[in-house]
Amino acid sequence: MKLIKMVLAAGCLWAGAALADPPKDYPFVDFDTGLKAAKASGKPIFVYFGRYGCAWCDHTNKKTFSDAGLKKLYSENYALVYVDAESGKRLTLPSGERITEAELGARLQAFATPLFVYMTPQGEKIMQVPGFKTVQDFQDYDRYVRGGHYKQKTLLEFLGGKS
Amino acid sequence: MRAAALLLALLAFPVHAAWTWSEPVTVNPVQGAAIFPHLESANRQGIAVSGGTVGVVWEDNRSGSPRCYLATKQAAAAAFRPEVRLSKKECYEPVVLALGAGRFVAAWEEAGKVHARVWPRGKVLELSAASAAQVTLARGGDTLYAAWAEQAGRFKRIVVATMALKGDTLSVKSAEPVEANVPVDEQGWPALAVAGDGSLTVAWEDRRHHHTVPMVSRSRDGRSFSPPLRLVDTRSGSVDGLGAGMGTMRPTLTAWGEQGVVAAWLDKRDFLSGYDVYAAFDPGTRTFGRNLKVQDSFGDNMAQWHALIAGDGAGRLVSLWDDARDGTPDVWLSEWDGEAFGDDVAVPAAHGPGSQSDPVATLDASGALHVVWLDRDEAAGTRIRYARAERK
Repeated sequence: MKLIKMVLAAGCLWAGAALADPPKDYPFVDFDTGLKAAKASGKPIFVYFGRYGCAWCDHTNKKTFSDAGLKKLYSENYALVYVDAESGKRLTLPSGERITEAELGARLQAFATPLFVYMTPQGEKIMQVPGFKTVQDFQDYDRYVRGGHYKQKTLLEFLGGKS
Repeated sequence: MRAAALLLALLAFPVHAAWTWSEPVTVNPVQGAAIFPHLESANRQGIAVSGGTVGVVWEDNRSGSPRCYLATKQAAAAAFRPEVRLSKKECYEPVVLALGAGRFVAAWEEAGKVHARVWPRGKVLELSAASAAQVTLARGGDTLYAAWAEQAGRFKRIVVATMALKGDTLSVKSAEPVEANVPVDEQGWPALAVAGDGSLTVAWEDRRHHHTVPMVSRSRDGRSFSPPLRLVDTRSGSVDGLGAGMGTMRPTLTAWGEQGVVAAWLDKRDFLSGYDVYAAFDPGTRTFGRNLKVQDSFGDNMAQWHALIAGDGAGRLVSLWDDARDGTPDVWLSEWDGEAFGDDVAVPAAHGPGSQSDPVATLDASGALHVVWLDRDEAAGTRIRYARAERK
């Protein structure tokens, strides 16, 4: 009986995890942990701003983040942070301000999820891109961010110039 | 011809002319680039008016970590009195409720539990035994209620307390979960309203359907509760096998008219335009009707944030929120005209360059509207601003 309960509980956990939480098998952490890790490693921060039950987040996870190459690229080169758009969980901004994860959405004027935010290792925003994105999109954004092109060009200028 | 011109002039007359606003007053005397005041709370209950005294609560980190404060002023006074600190330890999401005759009850989260005290006299009472957050208050006659989100196993659930007040001493008579069962997913951000018939309505965010749904329950005595129902008239469920449903956030409630209760919340059913403000009415039937969009079409392509509803027994009803339709965040309000929510009007002192957001508001016994908001300036620091509006 105890074993059945454990199996059922595990099933519930899995079901919850499948509903637009962070993509499976990526080392996403909370905002404060990610900011600390980024400062220590010097890696830029990739914030996945998702919503519990969000269909487009689910779609992005299944279609895009399932790509093994993308998983390797982002897992190795970014501090991966997941923020729940409606959560009351608190985080600390680089300024020292404590706000809820939901309030971060208000500050970012997030109008849709998923929203992807790239930040410097110090937590300064580089850019934010909303909605479903392909593997190619994320590869482009990676070149733009880690290549430092954001210092000279807008994302549109950068993408317009690619071959 | 003259009649037509007069009609056109009347139609063109801005709706906000219906309200006459006082000069804004700064509530928080201590500001700075690294001091961050917040007005966030369950049911956005950061202001109350008690017998001609305005009380405002907030949290800021001036002492190095977040603490909660209460400041008061006589309605006619030009400035707020020096604030009092409510908490000793890390504190979040304070709320305030009027007791009458210039007295208040404040409640807040401190060191992971929820607390309350009577002001100006009264000792701090720990409301929750377990880890808890997001406390809110309501009053029906002589009966005081509190609700909060309390840890119960892996998730938090909503607990409602009935409190006794003897002199300046608060005590908890009963504290009961809305549902006896251990929650299967997170619950939080409760709102309370006591209708004219004394019945209690509690609404909250609930994730049992694998997305956030505002749920609602009723009680006659604050101890036993009806089975929760959805506040939203949308359904849960995946789309083409994806997701679980639309997003919602932060339900708020107000008693309204002789018997009614009105709810307002942030709702993402139109997922391409961010959260919209939606409302639902219970006219006294103890059933919420269909959901109504509150903001007007000029706000449709813009995300709304920090929505609340404020009503009174005379049937006045306003909703406030902030959005950036004019380029930067401003505080907007819409008033119920008996058939629909009217055109959105900006709160004059909370509109224009810079960021004005996070409104909290209440209607006093005379029908005057009291509004508090955050006026952000990264260099000079954030001011908490207050203004009062009366009908012309």
